[in-house]
Amino acid sequence: MTAIRVLGMVFTLVASIVVWPSLAVGQSVHSTIQRVQQRTVKVFGAGGIKRLHSYSTGFVVSSAGHVATVWSHVLDTEELTVVLSDGRKIRAKVLGAEPQLDLAVLELDAEALELPAWDLEAESSDAGPGTRVLGFSNMFRVATGDEMVSVLHGVVAAKAPLATRSGAFETSYEGTAYIVDAVTNNPGAGGGVLTTRGGRLLGMIGKELRNAASNTWVNYAVPISELKRPIQQIIAGKYRARQRGADDKDAVPRFRPLEFGIVLVPDVLFRTPAFIDRVQPGSVAATAGLQPDDLVLFVNGDLVQSCRVLKRRLGRLDAGGTLKLTVRRGDKLVPVELPVPDKPLTPAPGQPKTKPSAGSK
Amino acid sequence: MRPSRMRERRTGWVPVWLAVCLVAGSAVAQDRPVADLETREEQAFKEASAVVAPAVVRIQTVGGLDRVGRVLTGTAATTGVVVSPDGYVISSAFNFVSRPASVLVTLSDGRRFPAKIVANDRAKMVTLLKIEAAGLAVPKMAPRDGFRVGQWAIAMGRTYESPLPNLSVGIISALNRIWGRALQTDAKISPANYGGPLVDIQGRVIGVLVPLSQRQAGRTAGVEWYDSGIGFAIPMADILATLPRLKSGKDLLPGLMGITLKAGDVYASAAVIDRVRFNSPAEKSGLQPGDVIASVDGQVIKRLVQVRHALGNKYAGETITVLVKRGEKSVEQKIELTGKLEPYTPTFLGLLPVRKKQGEVSKGVTVRGVLPESPASKAMILPGDRVVQLDDKAVADTAGLFDVISRRRVGDEVKVHVDRGGAKRTLTAKLAVVPSQVPAVLESDVIVAPDPKPADLPKTGRFNQDLEGHDHSFWAYVPETYNPAHGYGLVVWIHPGSDTMEADIHDLWKPICDERGLILVGPRAKNIAGWSLNEAGFIEALVQEMQQKYRIDSRRVVLHSYSDGCRFSFHLAFKYRSLFRGVAASSEPLRLAPPENRPDLRLQFFLSCGDKDNLHRLVQRTRTRLAAMKFPVVLTTVPGEGHSYPPIPVLDAIARWIDMLDRI
Repeated sequence: MTAIRVLGMVFTLVASIVVWPSLAVGQSVHSTIQRVQQRTVKVFGAGGIKRLHSYSTGFVVSSAGHVATVWSHVLDTEELTVVLSDGRKIRAKVLGAEPQLDLAVLELDAEALELPAWDLEAESSDAGPGTRVLGFSNMFRVATGDEMVSVLHGVVAAKAPLATRSGAFETSYEGTAYIVDAVTNNPGAGGGVLTTRGGRLLGMIGKELRNAASNTWVNYAVPISELKRPIQQIIAGKYRARQRGADDKDAVPRFRPLEFGIVLVPDVLFRTPAFIDRVQPGSVAATAGLQPDDLVLFVNGDLVQSCRVLKRRLGRLDAGGTLKLTVRRGDKLVPVELPVPDKPLTPAPGQPKTKPSAGSK
Repeated sequence: MRPSRMRERRTGWVPVWLAVCLVAGSAVAQDRPVADLETREEQAFKEASAVVAPAVVRIQTVGGLDRVGRVLTGTAATTGVVVSPDGYVISSAFNFVSRPASVLVTLSDGRRFPAKIVANDRAKMVTLLKIEAAGLAVPKMAPRDGFRVGQWAIAMGRTYESPLPNLSVGIISALNRIWGRALQTDAKISPANYGGPLVDIQGRVIGVLVPLSQRQAGRTAGVEWYDSGIGFAIPMADILATLPRLKSGKDLLPGLMGITLKAGDVYASAAVIDRVRFNSPAEKSGLQPGDVIASVDGQVIKRLVQVRHALGNKYAGETITVLVKRGEKSVEQKIELTGKLEPYTPTFLGLLPVRKKQGEVSKGVTVRGVLPESPASKAMILPGDRVVQLDDKAVADTAGLFDVISRRRVGDEVKVHVDRGGAKRTLTAKLAVVPSQVPAVLESDVIVAPDPKPADLPKTGRFNQDLEGHDHSFWAYVPETYNPAHGYGLVVWIHPGSDTMEADIHDLWKPICDERGLILVGPRAKNIAGWSLNEAGFIEALVQEMQQKYRIDSRRVVLHSYSDGCRFSFHLAFKYRSLFRGVAASSEPLRLAPPENRPDLRLQFFLSCGDKDNLHRLVQRTRTRLAAMKFPVVLTTVPGEGHSYPPIPVLDAIARWIDMLDRI
């Protein structure tokens, strides 16, 4: 079975490679670079103190003068300017932003610009690992005066969610991103573009970001498919920023290990492995067959690396469902299922504590 | 044994499929435009990685430390490569530095297994894991003799939550790096693919990706180079060659002979043995200082570096054949390498040499003082004596005397020839170990202000300055009586996190500096919250700057620190062995593994801690650990004190300790 599955995967992969639109055919990288550079601009704004850079990058998304860029402190000024690829310097203002996507759209303060601009519908594309890409940005402000932005090359390393949820570094973007093997994300590079060598737009280069999980800096771009709608809607004046979900960091846990009859070992280390110390007789944990010394490894399919993470995961469970745990017992992985109690310790965020009685005014 | 169904199918299918690709590719090449080459290369990257992908596994660890030394270790998934169908997986040792409680391996088809760490190769920094699985896909290996600098090399990892492995594309940048252990690639190598395979364009594994450094050893060495375009891979062929030994469950250690070579031009000088370590394989086989190594295992040695290349891939337990030239004779020896050498024990005579003033020329070493209870004192050596010869070696100066003594062993009897007021005497001393106490009294070597004061005297007193070329500032105190004719000790104050303690340190140390002829320099961390590893270069530059501006006695350059500042000062002392001669660390244990003690680069420690300090027990253990490596260590316990900067009597002891760092 496995063999067939693996082979199947290989062939699916190859098939997907073959049907990929081979856009590069007949178009040289040189002409791609020229075309993309003309649509990439340098953004200058607030910053310059401490280690905050006062510049970033943007890309032209309408010939009338709309520029998409990264949402950052650079935009936090009245004195925002954009330098076009031909060297013209034009004042700009923020038309709208979507902080959760790290996206902002600027409007240039000039009439009848007729700029070369990206057609987001026709010129964007999607790519998988191994696809050769180009990155265009105002990184480190190397391009001075009327010089055009810098170009880097590399391949797509992965298309995957950014693993930054544990909070060691602030990023608002939590979706799938292109991870690139070139060092594209430098100071000032945010808002630049990632394209194929054939000149298809793949994504917008994000801010500098440290990967909380692997402790390395990660080079990534937000896929254009995520940005297309918001950009178009901001330009059309129809956009309403998404509501942020309730921050669950400070929330009171809804369930604790004890609700299931599990007593964990004392949490003494920064990363104490989630070993079960005791199982309360008659509890759901006892019924499910959990034993002292079992090491809890997965909660509903997600790896838990410590007592702390396990408690956090349980704290967020929905009432009344099934809790799937995988424990390591000796050298075996053992899956168990526990019913989640109907009544949490605290109601879900956003839910009123007591139901308003029907008909009350 | 019948091969599994999986292997049968793979070995049947993949080459055929590859062949089809290649044939199709070359047919297309003739009638398509050149621009298409890039697209086809891109496809080849994807195809090559798809061939190896089934053997690339995801590794997750649970529990363990989050910090090893000063490197924050990730908790992210890492990568491994299947090396045998019955469940052996090879990975980078870096992925297990945090000593995890549990290791999990996820195969490309999603099946998950708990894994056992079988053994580590501590020369090549790879770790062998075992899972209870069968019929696993094993990738093809690229033959070692086919490697060419410039060929495509695809680095693969399985770090991200994605069904496909992550890729980085580059070329092989060099072969035979890190003393022949690794090849170099410019693909981006980082924790995102450490442990993963480096693959050629045909989908064969060239090697396994690891962080390595040509200057440092240790499991986190080389990590600072991640994503830099300098990455390393251990050739798969070499890993497979050691696989049977790793499978037996014993760690492989780099093979050591126990010799040091005479310093010289590493590119030109012959490999002359300088020292032979006591009880080492080299000594047991009869190698002697002065022997010239002519060949190792038949490989001709003409230059110093070739010895390291010849030994780079040797493990403890292996036997090598060494041919040496001893005068006119050629001697061939078989030597069984060891994994661990007995540490070098520094020897102690117990005399303080007179510090020569600038331009002062005199033969031999004049004795400034004799330490009580020392071998020198028992041999009746007196202050004012001039040591001119030791056994059959003439003594030109302090460095020469130190060199001779450092080559002798504890317990050796030496004949000390002295000139006492014109009369020659020969005294016999039995060398001892360096005492772990500082004498209660030690007269200082008084320095008087220059008269007349030279016009170009550098800054004295307390001052603030920025270090040119660095984004850092420092403060310093130089005695007002600074006299450039004398050598001064240098105390580098490494402040703890979030407090530079400038005013206190200045007030406490000013009288000591004035009395003992010391210069105090206080670098400031860029971020006041604490030191980061990459600020080491600034400290090195600062010491060099001070050495340029002032006359500094290189034997008395010490690091002084308190609380968490000590972590950085230990790091500095181990990193710049030729710069620092001592560490005076208060209220903080050593969290790094102590390095080898080297006879030629003396390093000594003064530890202090309050007995009410929670860290007291750990500081005591630090003393034990350093002493086990035979470093001279003094530990002073302050009764009744908690976690606090040492009181004046302890500082006075540190001052005396610094003042005798140039003792012999």
